[in-house]
Amino acid sequence: MFNQSAIGGFGANTTVTTNNPMKDYEVVQSPDDSISSLAFSPATLPQNFLIAGSWDNNVRCWEIEQSGTSIPKSMQTCGGPVLDVAWSDDGSKVFMAGCDKQAKMWDLASNQVMQVAVHDAPIKTCHWIKAPNYSCLMTGSWDKTLKFWDTRSPTPMLSINLPERCYCADVDYPMAVVGVANRQIIVYQLEGKPQEFKKVDSPLKYQHRCMAIFRDKKKSPTGYGLGSVEGRVAIQYVFTTNPKDNFTFKCHRSNGTPNGYQDIYAVNDMAFHPVHGTLATVGADGSFSFWDKDARTKLKSSELMDQPITRCAFNHNGQIFAYAVSYDWSKGHEFYNPQKKNYIFLRSCYDECKSRSSS
Amino acid sequence: MGRKKKKQSKPWCWYCNREFDDEKILIQHQKAKHFKCHICHKKLYTGPGLSIHCMQVHKETIDKVPNSLPNRSNVDIEIYGMEGIPPQDLKDHERQKQSTRGPDSSDEDEPASKKVKPEGLLGNAPPGMPGLMPPGMVPGLVHPPPGLPPGMQMMPMAPMGAPPFMHPGMPPMLPPHMMMQSQPGPPKPLFPSAVPSSSPGAAVVGADFKPISSGATISAPPTTNTPCSSSSSSSQTPKSSTIQATGTSSKIIHPLEDISLEEIRARLPKYSRGSSWQKSEDAGSSTSTSTSEMSIAVSAAQQAAATQAAVIQAKAQEVQHQHMAMMGRMAAAAAAFPVRVSGPPFSVVTGAPVMAGPTMGVLRAPLIGGPLMRHPPIGMPPGMIQMPPGVMYGAPMFPGMIMQPRFR
Repeated sequence: MFNQSAIGGFGANTTVTTNNPMKDYEVVQSPDDSISSLAFSPATLPQNFLIAGSWDNNVRCWEIEQSGTSIPKSMQTCGGPVLDVAWSDDGSKVFMAGCDKQAKMWDLASNQVMQVAVHDAPIKTCHWIKAPNYSCLMTGSWDKTLKFWDTRSPTPMLSINLPERCYCADVDYPMAVVGVANRQIIVYQLEGKPQEFKKVDSPLKYQHRCMAIFRDKKKSPTGYGLGSVEGRVAIQYVFTTNPKDNFTFKCHRSNGTPNGYQDIYAVNDMAFHPVHGTLATVGADGSFSFWDKDARTKLKSSELMDQPITRCAFNHNGQIFAYAVSYDWSKGHEFYNPQKKNYIFLRSCYDECKSRSSS
Repeated sequence: MGRKKKKQSKPWCWYCNREFDDEKILIQHQKAKHFKCHICHKKLYTGPGLSIHCMQVHKETIDKVPNSLPNRSNVDIEIYGMEGIPPQDLKDHERQKQSTRGPDSSDEDEPASKKVKPEGLLGNAPPGMPGLMPPGMVPGLVHPPPGLPPGMQMMPMAPMGAPPFMHPGMPPMLPPHMMMQSQPGPPKPLFPSAVPSSSPGAAVVGADFKPISSGATISAPPTTNTPCSSSSSSSQTPKSSTIQATGTSSKIIHPLEDISLEEIRARLPKYSRGSSWQKSEDAGSSTSTSTSEMSIAVSAAQQAAATQAAVIQAKAQEVQHQHMAMMGRMAAAAAAFPVRVSGPPFSVVTGAPVMAGPTMGVLRAPLIGGPLMRHPPIGMPPGMIQMPPGVMYGAPMFPGMIMQPRFR
């Protein structure tokens, strides 16, 4: 508190305003409409690149320096709002998918873009799968299919029908999970070729909104977190030895007002820390929180932003936590203010995300 | 059921929300605090009693019960102890107590009846783990454990003082050698977790998942997850139409319609402007196309039926009211007409998005694209710059080199 004022007047990046209650590093030249997707470059690249897809149809790429400064690198435009972005495993390409029902591959070296996937409806999710014997792009769409694309062929390598529209998905080879509109969860195993492993009925009672796969101590995928629009997260193990291992917890809800009335917000996104295995959630209430799912405790919760947080991401070594502050439509059309700036903030999170029990 | 519960929860005063151990004490409290005449200090028995007393004895009107909460000052409600409390308030009070009292108390006596009652739908925890969350998690979350890990001096600062130690930047966090390494290299021992997903040696990760692919073993591991098999689509459909908070004391901030926010948003003409999304509007809902076709068919059938009915009617009334039959037929046609029009809205939609115009993206491109043009080498990952732009923009989407599909 004492030297806050001095700091506040210091760097342009840490300008203290109400828009940045956590006083994090602001990414420059942020998107002109809500941010739908965020992804950090994989560990194969020495630098940190951040890509963000937006409802303004563009995908932007920044280099994030150690100092916390962001350098705009490039931008590509899609035929409609972008709903998801992903990196290839070698960091040479970026995939972007969205309302134009296509997924495109952006070759960063040549700055060329080509279409690699197409669906009958907007594509909600895209993920790169790198297996020893194949690599492909997985796209999940509102046309109720999950498709796998070689990127060189106009037809999918494989198309799997989903029981409903794809709402959320995650991939961590050899596991993939997809959450669909009727609150089912389908777990896929990707070894050899993608195959349905099992369908799971949701532990949550409300619409699924986000998922993230987590790993066990040996760093292999073992379960997933699932967030719903009803301010609740479920932690589910694929193999449940003890039913008590699976649990849910509430989050992103307003503290009860004096009359006991509570606002419940959607969990917009979640991500597991790549090193500590702890969990970050972001919500329509405009806050992010860090959780330790093993100790079942909250590690930190942020101040409220003036807008919802739509997405979040950790960089590959878990030093940087990026979160996107923009409108998520949770209050409908009336609360959409295009004049409001959309922010992406970067936070040094390595220590904050440390599990307290292990240290 | 409600009776029983009432008995078990503590008596409380409707006027001031105070709880008492005994209803007798509560009555004493009410007489002393809320039903005492401020003029002669006589203790009455109820609010209306006090009001009547003041009116008759002192010729004064009382519009508020003394010492009461603003919304509970009504002098016309007759309350004596716990009797006479409006049922709604009783419910609210219980719910509030339940939520504020916290988990232990809800565990104590009658969690079952409590859950069943007003909040049954929302519940405190999803089925399968009732009570698990509240006791374990909530307290921890609301009040983070006080014990901070020793040796983490930064923690106390973090809330408000993040910038001070962050300002020098992220260097302390990023080990220098990490930054030097310029090649997409083998797994760095220091950061093992970051590697598996990207390294070709992904097989390592796969180790655990392997038994799965062998098929036969799949059924072996016991899973407590309810196998969805037939899925809950039937039970789903009624519920999935809207999203509604279940308790009266909470509200889910989400549009009522139970579809994803993105779907709702994508409907806006602003976002469906591009030709491609446009197509998706009609073709994308290939399902919806078919439904629209179907609706057309249905409407046609309806129309046919309507005219047929009209004809029959006409025949029946031919003699007397021939002109009325005509009207009937016209009415039928008129009724059918709007239905038949269900096709055209698509074309209307097709026109609309144009106004949004694709100019925004084009205008904006240089802003960010510019820097790239100026110094592309700096930004691009090393080893990639040299790559000749193999594909020309606008070239055929799928150049000839089609690899044979690897699946199958």
